[in-house]
Amino acid sequence: MEAATMAWTAAVVGAGLVYWFVWVMGAAEVKGKRAVDLKMGSITRDKVQDKYTQYWSFFRRPKETATTAASAEKVPAFVDTFYNLVTDIYEWGWGQSFHFSPSLPGRSHRDATRVHEERVADLLGARPGHRLLDVGCGVGGPMRAIAAHSGSDVVGITINEYQVKRARAHNRKAGLDSPRCEVVCGNFLSMPFPDASFDGAYSIEATCHAPRLQDVYGEVYRVLKPGRLYVSYEWVTTPLYHAEDPGHVECVHGIERGDALPGLRRQDEIAAIAKEAGFEVLKEQDLALPPALPWWTRLKMGRIAYWRNSIVVRVLTLLRIAPKGVSEVHEMLYETAQHLTRGGETGIFTPMHMVLLRKPPAAASTEEEAK
Amino acid sequence: MRLLTHNMLASNVRGATTGYPLTLEATNWCTKEVELNSDFIRGLLPKIDWRALVAATRAVGLPELLPEEQPPEEEIFADGAADVEGSAIRRIHHALLEVHVQEGSLVCPDTSRCFPINKGIPNMMLHEDEV
Repeated sequence: MEAATMAWTAAVVGAGLVYWFVWVMGAAEVKGKRAVDLKMGSITRDKVQDKYTQYWSFFRRPKETATTAASAEKVPAFVDTFYNLVTDIYEWGWGQSFHFSPSLPGRSHRDATRVHEERVADLLGARPGHRLLDVGCGVGGPMRAIAAHSGSDVVGITINEYQVKRARAHNRKAGLDSPRCEVVCGNFLSMPFPDASFDGAYSIEATCHAPRLQDVYGEVYRVLKPGRLYVSYEWVTTPLYHAEDPGHVECVHGIERGDALPGLRRQDEIAAIAKEAGFEVLKEQDLALPPALPWWTRLKMGRIAYWRNSIVVRVLTLLRIAPKGVSEVHEMLYETAQHLTRGGETGIFTPMHMVLLRKPPAAASTEEEAK
Repeated sequence: MRLLTHNMLASNVRGATTGYPLTLEATNWCTKEVELNSDFIRGLLPKIDWRALVAATRAVGLPELLPEEQPPEEEIFADGAADVEGSAIRRIHHALLEVHVQEGSLVCPDTSRCFPINKGIPNMMLHEDEV
């Protein structure tokens, strides 16, 4: 009787602890997926560790070699591996929109995210009857917000097949299934769409994965109708970044390594690259600058949440619910958060350099003359 | 994958001249009922390549579903047409939104490159040497 009572007490306390751990401590963060549903994307369980090791060894290389032709060609495969590894953890921690947004006074992260997304629709002048392209749509958080806000249809493209499945499932739950929101598995450097088939396009912190920004801008230009707009939120270093400062270099390299980036662009390069692709640059703005509140505050919830998540992940791994390697992925994401935070605090990095571009209306006659 | 999605996809493989429309080879498809919304079809129709849609309906064993030429708008959106079994708008709605291809492939008309459709998801990823 004593032993039974103690066992039951321990069980109840244990359940209470788990409840407190996951649902009370994590209430602000637990959106989308539940902790016990960590499947690490479409990679089979026994391959998570191998994929993680392979990924890390690739990005541990010095930046110079990462940009050589041979390495650059591997980038699509490693971006795919990266998002397979992190999609479930990202959803657990971030919800369904894998991007930053300026913090808003008195508003939740969720609200700030939504405002950041709806701004895209407003900039594009999106409305019912439009078909928009989401370049690098992830699991489709922005797509659903923009479709709901503007009444436009959105077609997203992502390199990762697991994200296609996740995005479609979320679209169905939101009542925004195809054709309101459709997702295609493909590479945004070579998109499977006809020329001049979209009324607008946007990318939210996705083009940073392209080895050459010119290539993705060129593809967006091709599939956009003449006279239509493209909005992009770019990850860039700012003029405050100095390549001779070892602290800056370590920070930027840490961001690149932790987010599967072939190399961060400089802020002043973006407009030139867009013009090279044929676009007119209508507007450029770093949305991170004051009076915007710091975008990195959501990363600073930090240490206690990290410790809690780390323990949950390790226990789940021990119990074989989550496959081996999840802990390492989780730790990598935490380190990356430190680099991103430092980039934000020092002002050398911004994930929300907004550019509004237009494909010239005259492009139509040019194409007709060519034919 | 709905036939509407097929209608918007093209092959961008090196060597393709237009890469459109892709030839649909369906090995498994099904239909799921969706409520008809006339306004929605009205807004969607200008974006549809009709010949590509007709070819797709034939690929899923529905050769009689749609006529070779797109019917006039007055016929499609005639008053009460949405309630008539077998009306033009009902057929178009069925073709675009109710037919789902689960397994098969999409073939580039210029290069014969095959893109697999697995569990309703077409994988349009190109190999490095195809970009």
